[in-house]
Amino acid sequence: MASPDTTVRATIAPVGTRILTVEDDERIRTSVRMALEDEGWTVDEAASGEAAVDAFAQHTPDVVLIDIMLPGMDGFELCRSLRRNSDVPIVMVTARADTHDVVAGLEAGADDYLTKPFAPKELSARIRALLRRAKPAGPGHHKLVFGDLEIVPDEGKVLLAKRDLHLTKTEFRLLCELASSPGKVFSRESLLDRVWGYGYFGDGRLVDVHIRRLRTKVEADPANPRHVVTVRGLGYRLQS
Amino acid sequence: MATVRPTGSVRWPAVRAWAGRLRLGRLGLRSRVVLTFALGAFLLSTLLAAFTFAFTRSTLLRQRETAVVRQAYVNARQVQDGLRSDPSVVPDLLSGLGLPGGSRPLVCYRSACTALSSAYTQAILPDTLKRRVADDGEAARMRYALNGKPVLAVGIPLLAVAGTYYEVVPLDDISDTLRSVGASLIGAAVITTALGMLLGLWSSRRVVRPLADAAAAASAIAGGRLDTRLEPTDDIDLRGLTAAFNDMASALQQRVERDARFTSDVSHELRSPLMTLSASIQVMQARRDDLPERAQAALDLLVADVARFQGLVEDLLEISRYDARSVRLVRDELLVGEFVRQAVAVSSLPGTPVSVSDRADGLVIDADKRRLARAVANLIDNARIHGGAEGVRVSVDVPAEEGEPVGHVLLAVEDDGPGVPVEERQLVFQRFARGAQAGQRGAGEGAGLGLALVEEHVRLHGGRVWVEDRPEGTPGARFVIELPAEEA
Repeated sequence: MASPDTTVRATIAPVGTRILTVEDDERIRTSVRMALEDEGWTVDEAASGEAAVDAFAQHTPDVVLIDIMLPGMDGFELCRSLRRNSDVPIVMVTARADTHDVVAGLEAGADDYLTKPFAPKELSARIRALLRRAKPAGPGHHKLVFGDLEIVPDEGKVLLAKRDLHLTKTEFRLLCELASSPGKVFSRESLLDRVWGYGYFGDGRLVDVHIRRLRTKVEADPANPRHVVTVRGLGYRLQS
Repeated sequence: MATVRPTGSVRWPAVRAWAGRLRLGRLGLRSRVVLTFALGAFLLSTLLAAFTFAFTRSTLLRQRETAVVRQAYVNARQVQDGLRSDPSVVPDLLSGLGLPGGSRPLVCYRSACTALSSAYTQAILPDTLKRRVADDGEAARMRYALNGKPVLAVGIPLLAVAGTYYEVVPLDDISDTLRSVGASLIGAAVITTALGMLLGLWSSRRVVRPLADAAAAASAIAGGRLDTRLEPTDDIDLRGLTAAFNDMASALQQRVERDARFTSDVSHELRSPLMTLSASIQVMQARRDDLPERAQAALDLLVADVARFQGLVEDLLEISRYDARSVRLVRDELLVGEFVRQAVAVSSLPGTPVSVSDRADGLVIDADKRRLARAVANLIDNARIHGGAEGVRVSVDVPAEEGEPVGHVLLAVEDDGPGVPVEERQLVFQRFARGAQAGQRGAGEGAGLGLALVEEHVRLHGGRVWVEDRPEGTPGARFVIELPAEEA
């Protein structure tokens, strides 16, 4: 099977965009760096989780690429540690496509994942998709209000009961997509396409896990969501 | 695999033959326990009842006889004394006797017999008794049936007056007593048997419960919950079973986990170098134009075979997941027409014509779209290898006739190749199968896991796959996947 559809509408200029790749295998690290540099990105490297934490503080990359199997601090732990004070887009790389690894990686805070071996072009497409800015919801909509939930797309701000929420870029874009047509049901496929740029064969678990994460932030009671509602068999919608 | 003879079956040949005749072996363990308990209770209670009855009967009779005989002697002496003083007053004598319980006295004196009632003549006495008393001059007693009722007759010779004294005593009351005792005993035996059966039922449940627990645990393990164990028990008889079962379950779990870990480790070990190859090849391809012509040709070979190697590794890992039974489908409801078009679009021949019949177009399948797309892609690869890229066609239809309910959908991939001979149609789905046309395949292409994986994927989706001739005598093979489908 060929790689999934990775059409990305908005073009992100790689120039000046820094990528931190965290990978313990030196040969993979070097070859991936070369391939990514060919694509025009600026690449920093780290061989371990601990080194990645330092490199992250030093270079403030725009995207982090994390291999799950790392000696010492593993990929999940690194991901959680970065997530504590950053909304940087994170791509997990796994050699095992088991349900467990993928879902655990996404729940640790990753925005997307790739399975080894991937084509570096594919990785570039993923990075571009993650770096796209949230589209403004439409002219004249400076502020969208859903009960106690307020979204200010232009400023990238979300407030719940007047308090500022910290959303990752992907969570924010997911929320903005849902907010673009309040009350409309979005299928998993359309969210996969709009937020991640995946086609028909994209992994629906990306949507499910991100919706779950989003709910822990925008819902007073995530177990009984009032804003981000599941419509059985159809998808999700945003309501007041 | 070693089979273990069920212990607890009968050992002695005679008993086994007997049990065989009763066909106990055909009954379940519980029925056998119940039956054994009931049979035991029945035999025991019947034996006790019979013994009790016999004992009661003999005791009652002995007591009655002793009393009757003692009274008869008293009466005989009284009659003898009376006869000696005045032989003419026999009837008066008789009516003056102490006669408990309906006794009938009879006196024979000087060849005449006198009784209180005319119904009681000498004729009612058995001859043997009369002979012993009258002829041998001995006192005697005898039980017999008079008019169908049990009686006791006592005869005493009146030696001083050369006569005989008889007394006939009815034993009806004893029979009545014995009858009610017998009835009670039968009732008790029936109740005991029933209780035995209930006890059997209860204990069989108790006996079978650990077996039921073990069976439930075994099913749970077979269903994939490998950490299922039996509760440890204090029961000395069950401890062995529980321990052996849990040891087996642990060994199985370890083995399955080891296999899964091995697959996972192999997966990691193989994918890491492939990652380097894939990234390095992309770097080289970006500079392909800078390379000399020979190096370009070599690079092209490298690219093609790295891709093939990558596919083979993926197939190998997937098939080992099937072998380790660790495949979990990620199912979605898919519109079959849309799915097939998308699957063809990501295959090695994205331009393959797809025809979807009107009836099939609205059908929904519950499927793992990536795995099923892989199956479609593998069939397309197979068709391309055997018939060339131009002849490949994909069609989606339903097997049902017009008007019939639709339960399945058929995805067919056809090619222009030589077709598959009947005798090889099963074989082609085996791993690394090489048919007679192996030589016609492109260099090194073909023999692999593609079709074997198609079969595994389709089977896990509850469908089947086969190969047939193309319809209407057109040369070529037609691979068909049949899947359960529903109207949307």
